[in-house]
Amino acid sequence: MASDMAQTSFPWLSLAIFTPIVFGMLVLAVGRDSNPGLARVLALIGAIAGLLVTIPLYTGFDASTAQMQFVEKVTWVAQYGVSYHLGIDGISLWFVLLTAFITIIVVLAGWEVITSRVAQYMGAFLILSGFMIGVFAALDGLLFYVFFEATLIPMYIIIGVWGGPNRVYAAFKFFLYTLLGSLLMLVAFVYLWHSAGDTFDILAWHKLPLGHTEQILIFVALLMAFAVKVPMWPVHTWLPDAHVEAPTGGSVVLAAIMLKLGAYGFLRLSLPVVPDAAHSLSGLMITLSLVAVIYIGLVAIVQDDMKKLVAYSSVAHMGFVTLGFFIFNTAGMEGAIVQMVSHGFVSGAMFLCIGVMYDRVHSRRIADYGGVINSMPKFATFFVLFSMANSGLPATSGFVGEFFVIMGSVAYNFWIGLLAAVALILGAAYSLWMAKRVIFGEIVHQHVREMADLSRREFLILGLMAIAVLYMGIYPAPFTDVMHVSVDALLKHVAISKL
Amino acid sequence: MEFANLNLSLAAPEITLLVLTSVILLIDLFVKDEGRTLTHVLSLVTLVVLTWMSLSDLASGVRGSAFDGMYVADSFSHVFKVFSYIAVGVTLIYGKAYAKDRGMLRGGELYLLALLALLGQMVMISSGSMLTIYLGLELMSLSFYAMVALRREHVVSTEAAMKYFVLGALASGLLLYGMSMIYGATGTLNLAGVARATTGIGDNHMVLVFGLVFLVAGLTFKLGVVPFHMWLPDVYQGAPTVVTLLLGAAPKLAAFAILLRMLVDGLFGMAADWQPMLAILAVLSLAIGNFVAIMQANIKRMLAYSTISHMGFVLLGLMSGVVEGSAFNAQNAYTSAVFYLVFYVLTTLGTFGLLMLLSREDFECENVDDLKGLNRRSPLFAGVMLVLMFSLTGIPPTVGFYAKLAVLQSLIQADQVALAVAAVMFSLVGAFYYLRVVKVMYFDEPVDQAPLQGSASFRAVLSVNGALLLILGVFPAPLVALCALAVNGSFAL
Amino acid sequence: MSVPKLYLLIAFAPLVGAIVAGLFGTGFLGRWVGRAGAHWVTILGVLVSTIGSVIVLKDVLAGHTFNGSVYTWSAIGSVKVEIGFMIDTLSAMMMVVVTSVSLMVHIYTIGYMKDDPGYQRFFAYISLFTFSMLMLVMSNNMLQLFFGWEAVGLVSYLLIGFWYTRPSAIFANMKAFLVNRVGDFGFVLGIGLLFAYAGSLDYTEVFSQSDKLAGMIFPGTDWMLLTVACIALFVGAMGKSAQFPLHVWLPDSMEGPTPISALIHAATMVTAGIFMVARFSPLYELSPTALSFIIVIGAITALFMGFLGIIQNDIKRVIAYSTLSQLGYMTVALGASAYSVAIFHLMTHAFFKALLFLGAGSVIIGMHHDQDIRNMGGLRKYMPITWITFLLGSLALIGTPFFAGFYSKENIIEAAKLSHIWGSGFAYFATLAGVFVTAFYSFRLYFLVFHGKERFNASGAHGHGHDGPAHGHDDHGHHGGTPHESPAVVTVPLILLAIPSVVIGAIAIGPMLFGDFFKGVIARSPDRPVMEHLAEHFHGWVAYGLHAFSTVPFWLALAGVVVAWFFYMVKPAIPAAIKTRAGWLYDLLDNKYYMDRFNEQVLARGARALGSGFWKVGDKSLIDDLVVNGSARLVGWVAAVVRQLQSGYIYHYAFAMIIGIMAMVTFFVLLNN
Repeated sequence: MASDMAQTSFPWLSLAIFTPIVFGMLVLAVGRDSNPGLARVLALIGAIAGLLVTIPLYTGFDASTAQMQFVEKVTWVAQYGVSYHLGIDGISLWFVLLTAFITIIVVLAGWEVITSRVAQYMGAFLILSGFMIGVFAALDGLLFYVFFEATLIPMYIIIGVWGGPNRVYAAFKFFLYTLLGSLLMLVAFVYLWHSAGDTFDILAWHKLPLGHTEQILIFVALLMAFAVKVPMWPVHTWLPDAHVEAPTGGSVVLAAIMLKLGAYGFLRLSLPVVPDAAHSLSGLMITLSLVAVIYIGLVAIVQDDMKKLVAYSSVAHMGFVTLGFFIFNTAGMEGAIVQMVSHGFVSGAMFLCIGVMYDRVHSRRIADYGGVINSMPKFATFFVLFSMANSGLPATSGFVGEFFVIMGSVAYNFWIGLLAAVALILGAAYSLWMAKRVIFGEIVHQHVREMADLSRREFLILGLMAIAVLYMGIYPAPFTDVMHVSVDALLKHVAISKL
Repeated sequence: MEFANLNLSLAAPEITLLVLTSVILLIDLFVKDEGRTLTHVLSLVTLVVLTWMSLSDLASGVRGSAFDGMYVADSFSHVFKVFSYIAVGVTLIYGKAYAKDRGMLRGGELYLLALLALLGQMVMISSGSMLTIYLGLELMSLSFYAMVALRREHVVSTEAAMKYFVLGALASGLLLYGMSMIYGATGTLNLAGVARATTGIGDNHMVLVFGLVFLVAGLTFKLGVVPFHMWLPDVYQGAPTVVTLLLGAAPKLAAFAILLRMLVDGLFGMAADWQPMLAILAVLSLAIGNFVAIMQANIKRMLAYSTISHMGFVLLGLMSGVVEGSAFNAQNAYTSAVFYLVFYVLTTLGTFGLLMLLSREDFECENVDDLKGLNRRSPLFAGVMLVLMFSLTGIPPTVGFYAKLAVLQSLIQADQVALAVAAVMFSLVGAFYYLRVVKVMYFDEPVDQAPLQGSASFRAVLSVNGALLLILGVFPAPLVALCALAVNGSFAL
Repeated sequence: MSVPKLYLLIAFAPLVGAIVAGLFGTGFLGRWVGRAGAHWVTILGVLVSTIGSVIVLKDVLAGHTFNGSVYTWSAIGSVKVEIGFMIDTLSAMMMVVVTSVSLMVHIYTIGYMKDDPGYQRFFAYISLFTFSMLMLVMSNNMLQLFFGWEAVGLVSYLLIGFWYTRPSAIFANMKAFLVNRVGDFGFVLGIGLLFAYAGSLDYTEVFSQSDKLAGMIFPGTDWMLLTVACIALFVGAMGKSAQFPLHVWLPDSMEGPTPISALIHAATMVTAGIFMVARFSPLYELSPTALSFIIVIGAITALFMGFLGIIQNDIKRVIAYSTLSQLGYMTVALGASAYSVAIFHLMTHAFFKALLFLGAGSVIIGMHHDQDIRNMGGLRKYMPITWITFLLGSLALIGTPFFAGFYSKENIIEAAKLSHIWGSGFAYFATLAGVFVTAFYSFRLYFLVFHGKERFNASGAHGHGHDGPAHGHDDHGHHGGTPHESPAVVTVPLILLAIPSVVIGAIAIGPMLFGDFFKGVIARSPDRPVMEHLAEHFHGWVAYGLHAFSTVPFWLALAGVVVAWFFYMVKPAIPAAIKTRAGWLYDLLDNKYYMDRFNEQVLARGARALGSGFWKVGDKSLIDDLVVNGSARLVGWVAAVVRQLQSGYIYHYAFAMIIGIMAMVTFFVLLNN
């Protein structure tokens, strides 16, 4: 494979993966419940270092080629043809950066809020961050699987230890639901490994010719894994529970990045490895995506728990992503990828906002709020901004992806585009209705009157997110320019039958 | 028989063990101290010596057969013996305080019986004939019957011992019956002879299959494969944890060894017949083991059922070496089975070790709830247990994942996709009860606030044990290589 | 080519003002900008763009048009999506209208909002609005158009809900945004179709392919692709320009402070849809079906929304319905392919309707924030300036000859008459009838407010009016009391707006309608030579004005005024009698044709019911309980059953082993051989 890849001298990707992991271990090692401050500071340093080492990936990235860049390849388990093979292209680049960025946000978000077992909390998030970057950078099927699966452990702990009252159920549901999918994926991987001549090299799988039935079976096996992660209807029901019970940081990472692992799986594996299956099942995939957009959009409207509402809106937005994948045109594909990044910012920000309120009132029920703007004007500004972004308002990142995907789907089939565009209405409905009931109006509850406006730390976090959301909405070119060539190559590849 | 092919030197480890055991027996008579420290040390020394011997044999590639082919020394036997030594040694270290607290060290029997059982296992591992298989098996079993009942006053233990003895006797009976059938059909006890006789037999095939069924039943009994598993939960639960561990770790290696020798060295000609048997038994074990484990509140019992399910995986690895009756990358298949077995033994050592760490003179840690809030009491050992549990679940980055992968890939290579899917689906069910252990350790608040006991050496070894599973999970290659060496050097197929 | 700095200055000066006032005036990033600071910085910004716009207009008339990109926003594959300006007569004229009205409103606001705690926030919003509106009209591509489109919607949302503690306000603003989203839903699809088949979002590139597009068929049907695209786009216009049936949000939007009712909900934002259709005239001209659709919708809106104006008692709502009706007129003009007439009416309407709203605001101030016209009367001697200007505005609205509204409206009616497309007959009737209705409700309002006996002293009995912030206006707490003329900051804008309301029509009609002001900007299809026919009747503004006295509309208008005078000045008993006699009719109008109730009871509630149905039945019962937890329960049940085998009795165990052996023997020995 090395031939068609730009080899690089310095292992930036490994650094991006292992900086947070090493810091995480360090935090676990030195952190004491007696001295949480140390753990916090160390974690923050680790997170920032983690972001810094990803910057060369962007600056050094060559947007003119679809080939893998910053490639590292070392034989890992010779007996099973596993190699430590990393590399990124225009599709994966932004997710690496996004993950590193969100990690800082999460560390800051948990700063004072988390008081028990701080070291373990911070450590878990740092390690998790490393694993997730690993997924986006892995070019070896087994390496991909290892990182993909390893993320379950810290998340299980995070939900279970720092989660809400029903956390145990949520944690088990999260773990088993996801494991069900990924185990089938493992079988599919081994099958591919076997038919590719005992190699887990994903790029080799891309070129691997496969029969139609085996393609279908492999696609379904992978679908189980990715659909659960995305999550697509009807295997989405773990998400609302996980979100509702998880601590704020957990929800943020879950929504901002973990869901992207599944969507990314489609891009890196399902589509290029079994293109014919992808084409013949596109009808099903589009249907499921539209169900997610409309059905889940309607469900979101009637939620009375803010986190559940945002969780369902996440599912709806991810419906746009999968829709974009399976209409097989540039607008759809690029829109879907942009949507993935944007959703990372927007939903993350929404969960942070809810966290800010939860820390003050300890309730996620919409009915317990109302008139928050009277006591927290600054916060209200952010909340309305992010709600607008959530409903896809132009000049926010939320608009870009949705707009592209709608453009693409109208081109693919007007009626599909029409159904997808319903999201414009539903998105506004659930976002603004929540804003109306939570932010505006007279204060009805005493505890709302007592809510203190944003602290400097909270202002900083939400401010960073707001900048990201607006920048991506006003000038998305930096996000899209890097991916054109890669997306183009992917679409060309998918268009060619393997039969 | 002629003197020439006696080759005593090949059996040096067994002979040394026998001699040293007798010496320890004598010395132990004069040991007064309650803790039997001297016996303890001497036994460990013995094991170290043995390890050195087997390793050097492995290094120098000692290979051959003694006692007219009744005893085989090859890389397989060396590797397996080394792992058995380690298992027994580690168990003795873990179990010292535990055994002392339960008055099991008034005499040195524990150590002596353990060593004698080990001798039996070594004989099994090196057996080249059905006779040696049986001798080794009985030597091991008898020692264990005694060990399980070592706490004479303890009702549950004695009952367990009773069950184990009766059922064990029954199993031996079945085994003997099967052997006699084979002998009747082939006219030899020597595995090589059996192999020669059974390739391309026609007329008395039926007799052979008949014998084979009994043989498989008898051999898989010790592994604890469904439906011959019934003894296992009761004995695991009833026996003192240290004995449970002695019973749960090394003997599995020996039991697997005789199964492999019997079926591959002896009866490969009948692979077409025993492959489906193993497949059925494997699936049954996976199903029963995983499902029933969910219901267990007693963690020793739960681990017993988890053992059953893992043995299912081992059998899957073993049977995947055959396609349409003839060898198909069999060495890869056996390597994966061995790899899985070794992972299992290492993990079991850790889990039971931790139970002993949590037990105290007045307190037996045997319920899942006894681990409540362990993360509060000791983040380190909660972490160790976490790794052990996820290793058993097969989640990367732990060695358990690679063990599963090894078996899956050999299954896929043998076109047994359906079995592979079944296997992973059952392990999904299994994930539940391992997760429950993690849950009580991390999500629940501790009820038992007592500080952890356990000597420094105990803690050190246990930590290493846990770390090892993680390290091997990240760098499994060397272990895989070792297992491959064991298999390739011994089973030329 | 690079963008002239002037354009950037025009567009972004208000934005800068908004940011300064918004971030540093509201306490979001400190309170460095006080009240005066806020209104100065924003007014300065808008002043700059106003002057700039005038310069640009002269410039454009001198032939210096511009079309170029500011920066590349993004790209879809190889298709560049750019933010850019298209400066031609259409956009230049819109810029002047928007900025000048906005400037007036800014100044007016100083007086209107003087006691409001949200003073800085308000100025930030209206400046932000000005920026968004400019981006909309200056755009040279559909993306930026959509950006401005939604951005003005956002600001409108924020301003309608400006007094966020009022339930009615925060309901109205959500309603406005959602209804507009329904429109945008169509709008996006229209853009999508054009992008899909023309492969670009850029106006000129799309228009250049109009012939190719005209030949295309909508897949799976025999419809013209352009018809679908144009109607889809027009659905967007229906939302923004409040055309039936998406008009429901506009009356409620009166919950916002009066200045924005004037700026956003009368003069500028609501005309965005009209502007858009005119901008896309090269495409609309190619689809008669779409034009018929447009003209019918417009006619319905023009007439039936006018009726509703008759029975309103809230001064602002009367004007709001008149706005709806006038927007209907513009739409009719579009449908009759008299785009320039529509734009012309848009302009004149912008001035006189802004004037009327600001006048109403002045009255409201004078009435201490009571908006009920039944509590007014005889205000002319208390508020002379307001009175005069309001009268001028009303005269312009009803189309009195020589007033601005006359020239524009007259031509619309003519256009409807001359047009031959399907639905034009109805449109002609509707617009004609609308003249009477307009005159009637306008002067009903005028008389009730400024003439007759003074009812405000007795108004204690009547409920508190709507307008006026919930807080900060306590100094106005007492109701009734003698009305007073408003301060200069309020009256000066009235005067400044009154001037164009009177004269702009006479000045502009020649060049805008019958000169080549819009040459090359607005398409004219030879099949529908409406403008040419209109031109035949036109011989200068004086002649046109004089000729009016012999036309039907004039007498209809006069009749309306007289009837209004008779009903409400001479015999107030008559309307009361009608009200009691034709109760059903009154109810129908009073309930606005029951459309709100339909939307709330059927659509909104239906969606919620559907949602909770999906949630409770689909997600909770079926997926979670049945499948997910169900399988968990199944596993548990199987486990519970299987564990029974482990009885603990040794003979059971032995038995199991024997059974196992037997089974294997039967299976492998007996069956296999």
